[in-house]
Amino acid sequence: MRQTGLKTVYELAKKDSRVVFVGSDLGAGTLKDMKEELPEQFFMEGISEQHLIGFAAGLAKEGFIPYVNTIANFFTRRAFEQIAMDIALHDLPVRLLASGGGMVYAPLGPTHTAIEDLSLMSTIPKMRVFAPGDANEMRALIHTSLSDPRPWYVRFGKGGEPIFSQEAQETPAAPKVFGHTKGEILILSTGILIHESLSAIEILNENDGLDVTAVHFPEFTDLHESIWSELYKEARVVIVAEEHVPSGGLFSKVLRTAWQEKWDVEKLVHKSLPFRYLHNYGSQKDHLKANGLDAIGLVECVRAN
Amino acid sequence: MEHGSIHEHALTIPLSERSRCLRERLLSVTEIGGRGHIGPALSILEIVDVTYRKIMNSALIKDQSPNRDRFLLSKGHGCLGLYVVLEDLGLLGNLDLDSYCQYESAFGGHPESATVPTIEFSTGSLGHGLSVGVGMAKAAKIKHESWRVFVLIGDGELNEGSIWEAAAHASKHKLGNLTVIVDFNNMQASGPVSEVLDMGSLQKKWEAFGFETIEINGHDERAIEESLMKPSTGSKPRCVIAYTVKGKGIAQAENSSVWHHKAKISSEEIESLRAELHK
Repeated sequence: MRQTGLKTVYELAKKDSRVVFVGSDLGAGTLKDMKEELPEQFFMEGISEQHLIGFAAGLAKEGFIPYVNTIANFFTRRAFEQIAMDIALHDLPVRLLASGGGMVYAPLGPTHTAIEDLSLMSTIPKMRVFAPGDANEMRALIHTSLSDPRPWYVRFGKGGEPIFSQEAQETPAAPKVFGHTKGEILILSTGILIHESLSAIEILNENDGLDVTAVHFPEFTDLHESIWSELYKEARVVIVAEEHVPSGGLFSKVLRTAWQEKWDVEKLVHKSLPFRYLHNYGSQKDHLKANGLDAIGLVECVRAN
Repeated sequence: MEHGSIHEHALTIPLSERSRCLRERLLSVTEIGGRGHIGPALSILEIVDVTYRKIMNSALIKDQSPNRDRFLLSKGHGCLGLYVVLEDLGLLGNLDLDSYCQYESAFGGHPESATVPTIEFSTGSLGHGLSVGVGMAKAAKIKHESWRVFVLIGDGELNEGSIWEAAAHASKHKLGNLTVIVDFNNMQASGPVSEVLDMGSLQKKWEAFGFETIEINGHDERAIEESLMKPSTGSKPRCVIAYTVKGKGIAQAENSSVWHHKAKISSEEIESLRAELHK
């Protein structure tokens, strides 16, 4: 997913000289071809995320469209004020491409695991927040970013995720619906958890004879509720699963939507990471399993409800 | 000239009639709002005035021409100094500065580009302006355009690490079109800079970061003009270390951290400041 995202930036840069790439010491191999072919649009800068956000804002103020890439937390934690004040306050089209979303960097510990990024970015007015689920969606989203005047935050997955979405997508930011068209169980998720939801659907269909629907939200800012409102109303149980701390994430947004629309909130079940920094290592998969966010965990959650 | 004597010269240099008038207006505006950062605004007044009046082309700024020079007040709390200069040069359009800090005013305690179109960038939190200025100066270079970028920062603001991140990158990108002006009034909110956080030799620091560095008296209009007009010697960004006096021109406010910021200022206090301005 990360490779596809960066490659798509390179494709855009070839067509549009306003597109520039800004990285913070990301490694010699990063977009090597772009560096050679388009040196005036490629900036591999020092390890200085606060400065790089301001730098990107200055470029954007002068008509460029900067795509900035670094590890998720180094945007959201370290440069929060620059993102809010230099980019969002000025409504500048800077795209923050956040590597290692969620528990991707689990072996590197809590400094690197991005467990509250979606919440932090969602508090910033004008910011659009995305968590695509596969490379096709990533490519389609980055293509649409070229014409959007608002700032973007895009949570990258680890890479190598199975492909579940179409190659051509007219509205890649809109929620995607999978499984039974009127499932008694509805699973809502964002980012790479759609893969766990899809596996859970299969298991529950085969073993339990349950009709389950999954909705994936590639955009986190706008939930486009008209697409899934009927599914919510008809479902007996709605599980919200997120690779994120419990507060300020997808559950908070779904709950707010349900409250605004006067939907039944009693049917909601929440699965998330715990509200603490995690001191275990292992892999992203290990953490999903430990917190009931993998397919088996979701199946068990459905069976328990 | 020795550093001490430049600061002394900054303290003793008389104000021009124009500088007195701008200060008079600054006090009137402050009285309307009943609050403000008077000291930091008075230390930058000549720098802002000369930059806008003698260095940058006001007509291009008024028209928001893409070819205008860019000025960023990174120490946004000095905005009263910027407001009165912009007003005097006819760069505020129909906006009414007499509404300063009122609910529907375009003018708050920090400058906003969303409400005042000729303000280049909203600032207030320190340590942001230089990075943005580096991005702008880089943009001019990429587009092969000849406009320049001026970023005015405070000496207390030099405590922010992001300033030095930006300085290193300005040098890396060989931004000869970028000029940083340090308002070296030697006084921050809690007291003398040397006591709060002694930054040592500013000249050596900026030179070590790859800047062409000049030290001037920041209230000497001719010295300001010469330091900013002088063409860059090449690809090096420039740093003008302007020795100034916090509260310059009003004895009780000079070198006083008390007048760094006041959240409530009475008309009597303003009258007392005004009386000292005319001494």
